Amino acid sequence: MAKAFGIVTSTPRRIHVAGLQDYRSAAAFSFLGRYRVIDFPISNLSNSGIDNIQVYLNKQPRSLTEHLGTGRNYNINSKRGRLQLLYHSQTGTNELYNTDVSGFLDNMDYIQRMSPDYVVIEPCYMIYAQDYDELLERHIESGADITMLYHKVDNAKDHFLSCRVVSLDKDKHITSLTENRCNAKENNIFMDSYVMKKDLFIDLVRKTYDFSSTYSIAQMISVLCTEGKLDIRGIAHHGFFAAINDLNAYYEANMDLLDISMAEELFSPDWPIYTRTSDSCPTQIFEGAEVKRSMISNGCLIEGTVENSVIGRGVVIRRGAVVRNSVLLAYCTIGEGVNLNNEIVDKWASITHTMKLEGEPGKPGYVKRSDVL
Amino acid sequence: MKQVNMLAMILAGGRGSRLHELTDKVAKPAVSYGGKYRIIDFPLSNCANSGIDIVGVLTQYESVLLNSYVAAGGRWGLDTKDSGVFVLTPREKADTGLDVYRGTADAISQNIDFIDQYDPEYLLILSGDHIYKMNYAKMLAFHREHNADATIAVIGVPMREASRFGIMNTGEDGKIVEFQEKPAHPVSNLASMGIYIFNWKMLRRMLVADMKDPASDHDFGKNIIPQMLADGRSLYAWQFKGYWKDVGTIDSLWEANMDLLDKKNKLDLDDPTWKIYTEDASALPAYIGPDAEMERVYITQGCHAEGKVKNSVLFTDSEVRAGAQVTDTVLMPGACVEEGAVVTRALVAEGVRIGRGAVVGSADSESILLVAKNVKGVD
Repeated sequence: MAKAFGIVTSTPRRIHVAGLQDYRSAAAFSFLGRYRVIDFPISNLSNSGIDNIQVYLNKQPRSLTEHLGTGRNYNINSKRGRLQLLYHSQTGTNELYNTDVSGFLDNMDYIQRMSPDYVVIEPCYMIYAQDYDELLERHIESGADITMLYHKVDNAKDHFLSCRVVSLDKDKHITSLTENRCNAKENNIFMDSYVMKKDLFIDLVRKTYDFSSTYSIAQMISVLCTEGKLDIRGIAHHGFFAAINDLNAYYEANMDLLDISMAEELFSPDWPIYTRTSDSCPTQIFEGAEVKRSMISNGCLIEGTVENSVIGRGVVIRRGAVVRNSVLLAYCTIGEGVNLNNEIVDKWASITHTMKLEGEPGKPGYVKRSDVL
Repeated sequence: MKQVNMLAMILAGGRGSRLHELTDKVAKPAVSYGGKYRIIDFPLSNCANSGIDIVGVLTQYESVLLNSYVAAGGRWGLDTKDSGVFVLTPREKADTGLDVYRGTADAISQNIDFIDQYDPEYLLILSGDHIYKMNYAKMLAFHREHNADATIAVIGVPMREASRFGIMNTGEDGKIVEFQEKPAHPVSNLASMGIYIFNWKMLRRMLVADMKDPASDHDFGKNIIPQMLADGRSLYAWQFKGYWKDVGTIDSLWEANMDLLDKKNKLDLDDPTWKIYTEDASALPAYIGPDAEMERVYITQGCHAEGKVKNSVLFTDSEVRAGAQVTDTVLMPGACVEEGAVVTRALVAEGVRIGRGAVVGSADSESILLVAKNVKGVD
């Protein structure tokens, strides 16, 4: 029996990914062709032996509900483990009320009924691999009340805009948790991930709501860590890390993984990333096609040129089309002779009449779902 | 148990010895095909798509992998309360000793108890070694329309090849008047596909009699069908028009894979209304490297290509390293062509490594080279 149950929180209100998020929550974004962003946090929990998992949903639940189903695809034993999809809608008329805490309060009964003593909390919009079993052991051994995961980056000045940063003392106690003000290149990005005792967690949820009904757990912790009453520590995460906090971050995370050594680090054979199969047949690359430095999902028909791109399932790229530095989501069609560069094309879009689309580096273009251009 | 209209039995017991080392460790129906599939995915997916809920899979030769593979009926959607895939190996029963299946008909006879549980009206017999997509419901509709005792699916083959098949000679309405096994001078080109629909009650009586007949080979083609014709029963041939391939030899298995490279090929595995289901691999999408050259390639997830690939089918987790050249070749799951190696007109078996700089196969070879063992590199 696992010592902890897992919680994957809903997309925080400060995260907004232009375009993509009009149709689904960040958790349900397609990623690297055949995955969804939420496959990473859930695979982390499943691979850590944590098989009681709560996924919180607030807006646009359809896409995520369809994808997750019963959790069977994530190697969760359906008899002894469970994937629960918990809705919360206590956002009222004001987006300010849309907090993780409101979700937890809406579903407090289900949190209380969990039998493990500890809880592991993960965000739904970040991509990384983490062994939470190991983290839990370190947490217990350290005697800390709360352990938080962070990742040290050297591009915080123009990235991780809506994320939070932590500072630590030499004993790895968290001394502050603040918004990333983008005033330093090097910074410790907080990974929205915590380990603590279930009882402390429940207490914290209630305390936060009493303190301010618009506060999230993180905001409460930023108050608590300056008080010094709780022992709150940080542990650094190593390896691939991306936060999908805006459209460019989404684009860059996909592009970064075209570096195959980076991809092989994230997708290690002993840490499988599970997802739902769509039973697509393999991909056909025809005579005259040119494909270089790209990830190609199944079910595609490729006659044109593809370079430095991530291609989703069932994409059609016709003769003479040139796709460069782009992310194409499932089932889109790129017509004969069409030229794409630095673009994100959402599902089912068809680009056949507009012959050239070019986004800027750092500001990729976006084609809406099901649009015909 | 809930009565079912038509139950399917897949004969998957054969060794497939003409596939040589490919079937040393697995039975023929478990052999890989088309990048991500196994041969048996085809009859199983056809059953699921045709609305057949109960499928028995008769296994015998090297069946460990096959048994565990088909037992996960969920892969084909055959895992609801009223459906299932059942692995049926020879069993020791109270009144008989443990016996292997003596023939195709005997395999069914030995499982009469299993079939009786579902009390089906019709029994569909399939073989586990063909690549095709077929709607068995259409065949059943034909069978009922003609009030037949048995219906046999047939396919038109070139006349000059007809003597390699079991040939049905039919009247105008499709009624079978004669069955000839591998005739020297065929009069028709309608070859049996080894797919039969029988009225179960009638077949059951025949099987019980056949079991006791010491002179019988207990085979559908040799005994049951000729007996039915002799008894004056009404047998009909239902003509299938579509892609169908017996992948019994290395050459034909290679060819069937190569067929997938054609644009709008007849098998059309991309048809969303008739998907072929299979095991899902947790693997990255196919990765194609910065210096790779790909032309006419069928490629699936988990593949990693850095070299030059032409006219080839790459199966799950196969690898073509930098500077390697792969042409007119099938790389089975996990096969790896190392740096600078050249592979031409070959079928490289599962997990086999072709070492650095090695040269394997040739463009003008008459038949396809099966590479079943690692090939050492050239330093």
